[in-house]
Amino acid sequence: MLVGTTPLEQLVSKLPTIPSWKVEPVELKNVEILQAQFELAAADIERFLPPALHPTIPPLGQWSCWDVPDSPWGSFRLVQFRFSCRSGARPRAFLLGALIDNEDAQKNLSENWGLEATQADIHFLRSYDAAEFQASVNDQIAIDIKLRDPESLSTTDLQLFASMHGANTPSGLRLVQFDPSYEVNRTERYMPTINRFDAKAWQQEGIDPVYAVTAWGANTSIHLPKIRFVCRPDIDAFRGTESVQDA
Amino acid sequence: MKFGIFYELSVPRPFANGIEAKVYHDSLEQIRLADEVGFDTVWAVEHHFLEEYSHCSAPELFLTAAAMCTERIRVGHGAVVCVPEMNHPIRVAERAAVLDILSNGRLELGTARSSTWTELGGFQADPDTTKKTWDEFVRTIPKMWTEERFSHQGVCFSMPERAVLPKPIQQPHPPMWVTVTSPGTELDAADRGLGALGVATAGFAEQERRLKEFRRRIQLCDPVGTVVNDQVATLNFLYCDEDLEQAARYGNTLIGQFGQANSHLLFTREAYPTRAYGLLANISPGGGRRRTPAETNPGQSVNLPEGMAIGDPERIIEVIREWESLGVDQVNFMLNALECIPQEKVLNSIRLFGEHVIPKFSKLN
Repeated sequence: MLVGTTPLEQLVSKLPTIPSWKVEPVELKNVEILQAQFELAAADIERFLPPALHPTIPPLGQWSCWDVPDSPWGSFRLVQFRFSCRSGARPRAFLLGALIDNEDAQKNLSENWGLEATQADIHFLRSYDAAEFQASVNDQIAIDIKLRDPESLSTTDLQLFASMHGANTPSGLRLVQFDPSYEVNRTERYMPTINRFDAKAWQQEGIDPVYAVTAWGANTSIHLPKIRFVCRPDIDAFRGTESVQDA
Repeated sequence: MKFGIFYELSVPRPFANGIEAKVYHDSLEQIRLADEVGFDTVWAVEHHFLEEYSHCSAPELFLTAAAMCTERIRVGHGAVVCVPEMNHPIRVAERAAVLDILSNGRLELGTARSSTWTELGGFQADPDTTKKTWDEFVRTIPKMWTEERFSHQGVCFSMPERAVLPKPIQQPHPPMWVTVTSPGTELDAADRGLGALGVATAGFAEQERRLKEFRRRIQLCDPVGTVVNDQVATLNFLYCDEDLEQAARYGNTLIGQFGQANSHLLFTREAYPTRAYGLLANISPGGGRRRTPAETNPGQSVNLPEGMAIGDPERIIEVIREWESLGVDQVNFMLNALECIPQEKVLNSIRLFGEHVIPKFSKLN
């Protein structure tokens, strides 16, 4: 069976450090999310995952943008690029990169949840018939996605999955399970187009979005809980998962 | 109680050195033995693009081969995908009729709509409409079989009057089933007078609840065919061995390998939010009811339901008695996954089941 083949240290250019598990949960209200999903070219895709994780068939790239109007760190926008995978038998997405436009939020997400993001300019727009988001680093566009033809869905039609990302933790180098919970107030589905994706800007050369699947938008409250599980990156999740409470 | 064997035809990587051919031919050998020892039905799925998990994309051909090398066992097309991008309904009716003729009236026709984005996306089918197209297929196929000439003005297809040929030899027509994965599909089956072909492993309590409602609803059904199939089948794993320790070892490996292969699949709802696909009740990633945080530990295997047919003959008889007491009509077994059990051991498991278990549930007893 396919499993990830690349050591975590080689997959992630800058691993954040979580100094302590003592994290206060945070509530983010009235967040707008846009997420576009594209099938990725499948050849050798397992090299983008650590051995603890295995890919879906076909592999699915997910680009999401959070527009957070208020938080303990002020308003911020966060773009995440994730890749569908499994941790054990559980559906997860491996974080390949993140961009953010607020330094305080950047620091807190990194230190408390191990979510490492690079400073960027992020544009977010949602109107009655379309939506879009764009992120630029040093004036270079890293991602530019347009969404068209919104159709309303029921708030229960969305299935949202936890992320896995690498961090130096009090338990050592680990994959951290980042699993916000969502209270969705509104959701719609779109058809996405990638105007520009610069794999180099994400340090993910070789990743190639080849087929638009769908996109969705939502208005939601997001609860960022304490980290509950981490996983050794070098062995499968059945053997490598550790409860943080036991740490 | 009837017993079936159920084939996904899973193939381990690497796909070289004739491994696919070995899986197909080993399966046919198993089917010949199952026919001899008294199993009632062999089922084969229709799946596309599901690497390792299922290389069974042309089940009608596989089942024709099975029919040709057996005498008695029924052949279950379990199930044909009723999505027009994958199968035109006229071709489904035609191929099924030919299989019924070649098997001398041994066909069971299962119907389904696919649950993975891997498959629906591959055929560029619209996930929003598969329930409607499935409904149109199951309402028209029996008419194509039983009416001398048939015409149709529908949503997913239309046709002027033609004779759809040949006609099946079972009268009035072969039994029809619906594969049941999502909770509630058993009610869709009942309302149409179709058998419920469980393809998700589920525990006793869940099965009992669903079975009770199926039995109630099918009494009030408006059948799509000219005959009602009121049977309920459930899916299980089989590894029978006189050595309990060995049975547990191989049986657990079988379940684990199936789960691993299953976990690679990209389920529709995961890729494409739609109200047409609810939460799956099988062991798919994200399947079943919404999970509490405590249940999302990746270090834990997905909890498999009780009632697996793994053990020595005595234990398996006990398990099946329990299924029988719930009112299940048929238990279908997966025998292997990704070739994790050597062929000789699979054959031995079939032999033991035929020798010690089937007689306990035969009509004579």
